Amino acid sequence: MSEYILRAENLSVSYGDFRAVTNASLKVKEGSITALIGANGAGKSTLLSAIMGEHKPTEGHVFFEDREVTGLKPSVIVRNGIAMAPEGSCIFDEMTVRENLLMGCYQKRAAAKKNELFEKVYSLFPILKEKEKQLSSFLSGGQRQMLAIARAIMADPKMIICDELSLGLAPVVIGEIYEKLTEINKEGVTFLIVDQDVGRSLEYSDYSYVMVKGGMVMEGPSCDLPIEEVKDAYFGINKYA
Amino acid sequence: MKNNHSSLRAQSKTASLIKLIVAAVILIVLIVMPFVGGAYIRNILILIFLYMAVSQMWNLLAGYTGLVSLGMQAFIGLAGYVLALTTQQYGKPIWLAFILAAVIAVVFALIISLPIFKMKGVYFTIGTWIIAEALYVFFANWAFVKYSIGYNITVAYRMNLNTFYYLCLVIGIVSIAVVLFILRSKTGLALMAMRDNEDAAEVRGVRLYRTKLMCFLIASVVTAIAGVALYLNLAYIRPTNAFSIEWTVSMVFIVIIGGIGTIEGPIIGAIIYVLLSQILYNFAGYSNLILGIIAVILIMVAPKGIMGYLEERFAWDIFGIRRRIKPKS
Amino acid sequence: MELLIQSIVTGILLGGLYAIVGLGLSLVFGIMGLTNIAHGNLMIMCSFIVMVFGTVFNGNIILMLVLAIACMVVFGFLFQNFLVNKVIDKGPNPALLVTFGVSIVIQNALQLIFGADARSIKSAFATVNVVSSDYVSISGAYLANFVVAVVVIVLLSLFIKRTRMGRAIRASANNVRAAELMGVNTKLMYSVTMCIAMATACIAGLLVGNTFVFYPYSGPQYLIIAFGVVVIGGMGSIPGTLLGGIILGLAQLLGSYFFGTGYQIFSGYIVMLILLTVCPAGLLSNAKRK
Repeated sequence: MSEYILRAENLSVSYGDFRAVTNASLKVKEGSITALIGANGAGKSTLLSAIMGEHKPTEGHVFFEDREVTGLKPSVIVRNGIAMAPEGSCIFDEMTVRENLLMGCYQKRAAAKKNELFEKVYSLFPILKEKEKQLSSFLSGGQRQMLAIARAIMADPKMIICDELSLGLAPVVIGEIYEKLTEINKEGVTFLIVDQDVGRSLEYSDYSYVMVKGGMVMEGPSCDLPIEEVKDAYFGINKYA
Repeated sequence: MKNNHSSLRAQSKTASLIKLIVAAVILIVLIVMPFVGGAYIRNILILIFLYMAVSQMWNLLAGYTGLVSLGMQAFIGLAGYVLALTTQQYGKPIWLAFILAAVIAVVFALIISLPIFKMKGVYFTIGTWIIAEALYVFFANWAFVKYSIGYNITVAYRMNLNTFYYLCLVIGIVSIAVVLFILRSKTGLALMAMRDNEDAAEVRGVRLYRTKLMCFLIASVVTAIAGVALYLNLAYIRPTNAFSIEWTVSMVFIVIIGGIGTIEGPIIGAIIYVLLSQILYNFAGYSNLILGIIAVILIMVAPKGIMGYLEERFAWDIFGIRRRIKPKS
Repeated sequence: MELLIQSIVTGILLGGLYAIVGLGLSLVFGIMGLTNIAHGNLMIMCSFIVMVFGTVFNGNIILMLVLAIACMVVFGFLFQNFLVNKVIDKGPNPALLVTFGVSIVIQNALQLIFGADARSIKSAFATVNVVSSDYVSISGAYLANFVVAVVVIVLLSLFIKRTRMGRAIRASANNVRAAELMGVNTKLMYSVTMCIAMATACIAGLLVGNTFVFYPYSGPQYLIIAFGVVVIGGMGSIPGTLLGGIILGLAQLLGSYFFGTGYQIFSGYIVMLILLTVCPAGLLSNAKRK
């Protein structure tokens, strides 16, 4: 088994005639926090949904733990041990917080460890325990994001993919959420995070990819990447425009 | 560029000329048909005209206005009873029945529009059906219309069938003309906007309620007029057949088979429906079964019907509803 | 006075039957946003299936019901999996029209197989009066209908509310994407929902056949009742069906008490229309945006 838990090789995704992702490759090392950086519309979310099987890639392959999962349904892919924390709006807002978490451990493997996982999640996010009987539509933006991450942890995954981690959140809350991620990461869970907050992504991640207009333009250990150049790419300045 | 535009225009001119000639030929054939085709063909054409007319109206509502009604039989039934009462009960002429049916349809449509236009989507569908069923129960318990016994419409046996044929032809043509007229008018544009996005259209100042109501009233009147003709053809009426969901079932079949949201759809659908019912007539009981299976298969493989399929494949558009941006010269 | 009390009691009990007739329709609408026009004919099909098993197994009512439910669950799965699931993502109309087409097919098939005669399902308790006093008499069939309806509605509510699968079904109704990402096969959950709806339709079919006579063309009549129940109680609300059923039952019986038996059904329709106009989303609406 290679040291990479997830490998996406030469993925291309199209919506009709529009090519959202072109020939993008990405590797996530086991136990790492890997960041995927890019401006709005760079194709990050599309790439993630192709990895998760929500969109069929037109070309390329996805491997999870060296098993090919290209084109499988999302419900099958998550059974392999990837969990996704989609953008905050993607929680079950007609269900209570606890029911949301229960949906997290829907798969039999995780359901067996239900109590243990609840304990873990509630100690990480005490606010969710406080609100466990409330409908999740009453949560604040930050709490929704925490719920999404907590729900992913409930699946007892080897790897968590977070989409638009800090979208619409206050800076304090963002910091708190990143701290929690590092905490979870220390217990051996691999992370692939997508965020618009370039500074924090680079700060907290081990390795980063930068995406512009559907293709990868830069990658490297996060501490080595020149932040100014990443920002240029992000904002579409000079050579990346 | 200029040359290109003028050649385009010339092309569309020849195209519309061809369409005009074809339409004229079809019309002439239909006009002389009673004299060359014999009684059987005449009768089939009558059925096609009438079913096409009511289906055009159902399509106007469901396909263009987004009002999926399962209660159009209310208007056919009312029209049938108006015919029976005016000619049988009061011995008045047929033409009066047509006028009265149209008036009553408008009034009834206006009255029921108050409750049912409050209902949205599927609730509208259910509401219209409940109204038709309520009418059925009411008529079956109403002494004035002889309860469930109904009437034999004897005047139907005495009318000139060729005249009746032309009347039905006119009803069919008028139904197409009405839909064409509505869709080509400003209302038509509003309708398309409304069908595509109701909220957005409302924000942009499309007067939803009035537009919908207008279409509903027009559909009611035409359906009622066709309903009188349908009962002249049937020659008897009972509450069970007058307000039967079967009327709307056939409209739905015709529109789905032909293609919902197209003017050509109901024409093609009506031809297929009437011919198929004739062919299957000898297998009583199987005919609706087979029609049902055909409808399900069609929705699965070609949800836009025959016309939608042709349009997608060959860019067919006989009546030119779609607005083309006129090239500036 | 006695007659009025009798009307009220009968109305409420009849409401139980109506509730279970509407239950499957409400469930399917609440979970997948589908208006199943075939529901009435499917229920009558259940009545016929129960009747057939009844003649084969000589009236063992539990056995009849279990076998009929088994048949209908298979049918519901095939219906959902191969027809409705294929078109349900293409907007509301194709799915609606598929159920419409299936409805016509079922009705005509029943007519071909069984002819147009009135049928009924015989059982020991159908004709017995459980209570008969000066004021009121209650027939065994009506009481059984009501009790069974309440039990089924309570059980189904608990299933949807409390169990793992019930949660997955609700999750699929609430947010398809999130549910898929949790590992839920949402299309399968739709099929399960249809199977449950068919099981309730079987119970309804048995009770209807045990209480009234039925014909191959009785389906639309019960579809309208189901619509009424669901519309009054709120599309998608399971407890709402009981409320809707009772209101509809009372409306019919009181209408018949005040205006004559001919107006029993008519007054039911009028009450439905009034309630639809006044609160277009039903009394206990839980309708899902779809």
